[in-house]
Amino acid sequence: MTFLALSPLEAALLALLTSGAIIALYFLKLRHRRVVISSSILWKRVLDERQSHSLWEKLRTIISVAIAVTIALLLGLALARPEVESLTGKNERIVLVLDTSPTMNTLTRDGKTRWQHALESAKGLLNSGGPTTEFRIIDTSGVTASAFTTDRNEVRRLIEQMSPKTADPQFPRVDDRDSQVYFVSDGVTIHNTPSFVRRVSVFESANNVGITAFEVRSIPSMPLSYEAYLELQNFGRPAEVGIVLSGTGGQRINKTVRLGTEEIYKDVFDLSQFEGGGIRAMIQANDDALALDDIAFAYLPVKRKTRTLLVTHSNRFLETLLKLDNYVELAVTDPANYRESPNIDAYIFDRFAPASAPARPSLVIGTPNAPWLKPSTGEVKKPEIATWSESHPVMQFVSVHDVTIERASRIEAGNLTVIAASKQTPLIVASEKPKWVMLTFDLESSDFPFHVGFPVFIENVLAWFSREQLALKRSPGIVDVPLANAQIRTIDGKVISSDQQLGATVFATSEPGLYAATQGDQRVHVAVNLANPTFSDVNRSVFKTDKSAATQHYWLRRELWFYMLTAAAALIAIEWLTYHRRITL
Amino acid sequence: MSTENANLTLFDDEFLKKLEYLNIISKRLFAGQLRAERRTRKRGTGLEFADYRAYVAGDDFRHLDWKAYLRLNRLILKLFEEEEDLPIYLFVDSSQSMNYGEPSKLDYARRVAAALCYIGLANLDRVNVISFADGLKSELPPQRGKGRIFKIFRFLSEISASGDTDAKSSFKTYCTETRRRGLAVVVSDFFDSHGFAGALDILRHFRHDIFVIHIASHEEIDPGLRGELLLVDAENNTTREITITPSLLTAYKAEFWKYCEAVESYCGKYQLGYVRTTTDFPFEELILKVFRQGRFLK
Repeated sequence: MTFLALSPLEAALLALLTSGAIIALYFLKLRHRRVVISSSILWKRVLDERQSHSLWEKLRTIISVAIAVTIALLLGLALARPEVESLTGKNERIVLVLDTSPTMNTLTRDGKTRWQHALESAKGLLNSGGPTTEFRIIDTSGVTASAFTTDRNEVRRLIEQMSPKTADPQFPRVDDRDSQVYFVSDGVTIHNTPSFVRRVSVFESANNVGITAFEVRSIPSMPLSYEAYLELQNFGRPAEVGIVLSGTGGQRINKTVRLGTEEIYKDVFDLSQFEGGGIRAMIQANDDALALDDIAFAYLPVKRKTRTLLVTHSNRFLETLLKLDNYVELAVTDPANYRESPNIDAYIFDRFAPASAPARPSLVIGTPNAPWLKPSTGEVKKPEIATWSESHPVMQFVSVHDVTIERASRIEAGNLTVIAASKQTPLIVASEKPKWVMLTFDLESSDFPFHVGFPVFIENVLAWFSREQLALKRSPGIVDVPLANAQIRTIDGKVISSDQQLGATVFATSEPGLYAATQGDQRVHVAVNLANPTFSDVNRSVFKTDKSAATQHYWLRRELWFYMLTAAAALIAIEWLTYHRRITL
Repeated sequence: MSTENANLTLFDDEFLKKLEYLNIISKRLFAGQLRAERRTRKRGTGLEFADYRAYVAGDDFRHLDWKAYLRLNRLILKLFEEEEDLPIYLFVDSSQSMNYGEPSKLDYARRVAAALCYIGLANLDRVNVISFADGLKSELPPQRGKGRIFKIFRFLSEISASGDTDAKSSFKTYCTETRRRGLAVVVSDFFDSHGFAGALDILRHFRHDIFVIHIASHEEIDPGLRGELLLVDAENNTTREITITPSLLTAYKAEFWKYCEAVESYCGKYQLGYVRTTTDFPFEELILKVFRQGRFLK
């Protein structure tokens, strides 16, 4: 027996003191009431007969003090929190790490998922150990990480709240110094675990065909034309796979392919007949064990002409270029007649800028003087484009590495986004709010208009200003949207809860879906897809040969002090009852 | 009743008159020194014819039956039953245990003794009253005649409760000094650490006719004791700590009745008169009814 609250010596001293005190108190007898009787002959006979003929009568004189000492010892030693390893197990710590990878949603032959098996294993581990065993539960998605506790119900409740997430699963950092670490997993996504970890496998091989890539992308030569790219892979037995692409306008593409084991299927689908909106790709295959990768979403921007006002003294080249663009509805005016209009989607100011920024986005060419623009601090001769951002939407499919510029204005970028710059000055800058893009050089002093990328650049700028963007691509789990204070809705219009983190809106989802984040007149679509061969390959487990870790179950489910207090309470009740019935003395 | 005056008021005149007509019936007949209203087996000078026998020299020729001599030519002597007085020995237990209960057993015993003495005196019997405890404490010499009743009352009133009980020793002392057989009435609670049987054996050995009056108090039959007690024996002041439990009380009561039955059984075995009473039983009823039921009076 060991004691958690006291040293053995302290516990022994406590027991001795308690017993001594009780015995001393017992021998401080009550003063008996004196009663004179005619004769004690009969009483003596009765008492002598009782004491001499009954073992109980002999014992009952000491049974009260024995009960009192027992009660005191139980109470005293309960304070010391005793522990008997054979009854309650030793005081140990168990860390349960649950794999919340998406592959845990894979169905097994009994109809349950690997996750359900993992929950059963975790609960089984919870039932192991003794009452003093402390448990900690952690998942591989970083969402759940409890502190050590002996409250199994609390841990059980946390386990019930957990679910397979698809955020980048990683084995958490755990301290193994005084803990046993169990990792309940199918071993598919997390292969490297520390050597001290006891692995509890829930792996069972399964058939799965999954969408490993799906996206809607514009055709470079036709910015407002889109196509869908779909990639499938079969991770099980050869299977016939039905493919369905459907749009919100009822458009539908059906296709059936046969995939061998490990075979990859790639295809591009023309979406010219699809209306703008959500696009859903679904596949169907027999004995498919993982449903999460059988569906994927994308967003097809709505096609609409941009009403554009070109404000210029005269720029025939730019005017012609915009008139040739089928997705631009152009109006031209000179600066003197400029009036802001609510019917305009975007403005192009050629070497001119109004005194105040228009309500709609604008492309400013040159560096005109305006309070809402960065002022020119000088001129740079023959600046060479040194850097540019290919990831910015306005630079999609645009190359500026060989653009020649005669002169450009020198400005301080400040908080503007620099899209392209020479070593001396920014050449293309962008402002998010109000939304505008500015070229710090004049088109006439550059050969940029003669490059093939210039029309694409103009198209990209107008698209960034007012046209819908393709959906952001995210994986299930914790999804971040680069739009502060946005409201998140599902494709059905249902609002889901979200949080704000570092200027972004964050929400959680465990399943693929298409979401819209809106904040004022800004709108961003987010396509949440599994679309990852790592997750779809549900048989790539390193736990194939593992077996469940052996667990030990103990007799008592609570610490000994609980039973000691219960026994003391029972003894007090028995003593009270027997004393008042004069069974004990 | 602790004073003389109080004892004198124990029996009013009406009660005494009732007692006057009662006779003490003894189961045996005893020889007496004086004539009394009682027949004995002894042939003597009484009025009632008893039997005939042949005349032998020395017989009182006044009792010869001359008519029988004329018919049979033989001297036949007429025998008459002689009426003699009966010695009554009233042994009153005056040990400390008798000073218990309300009224005390000793007071109750005094009344019983006084009543029996009166009846004995009224029947011209010779009445002896002996107070005993762990030995003979006091003794009233034989009294005869109703006029002596007040002397008996005075003697009884002077008896005080004290000492342990040793009836055997007391009876043995008395009987060895007083040879004449008679009716021995023992009035006691029989709480005798030496045992009651030995004492009564002594009286039987001296061939007394024995009548036992066993007195118990209500407090002894059903003691209202509860809790942690220090029991003090009234006779020898020995103490005993005890926790009164219901089962212990039940055992005590059973032991009490067992003891009473043992006394009664002894008396039945040797054909001794026995009556048991309690101090809360009405005294007049005891005299008039219980004694009659006990065949003591008629």
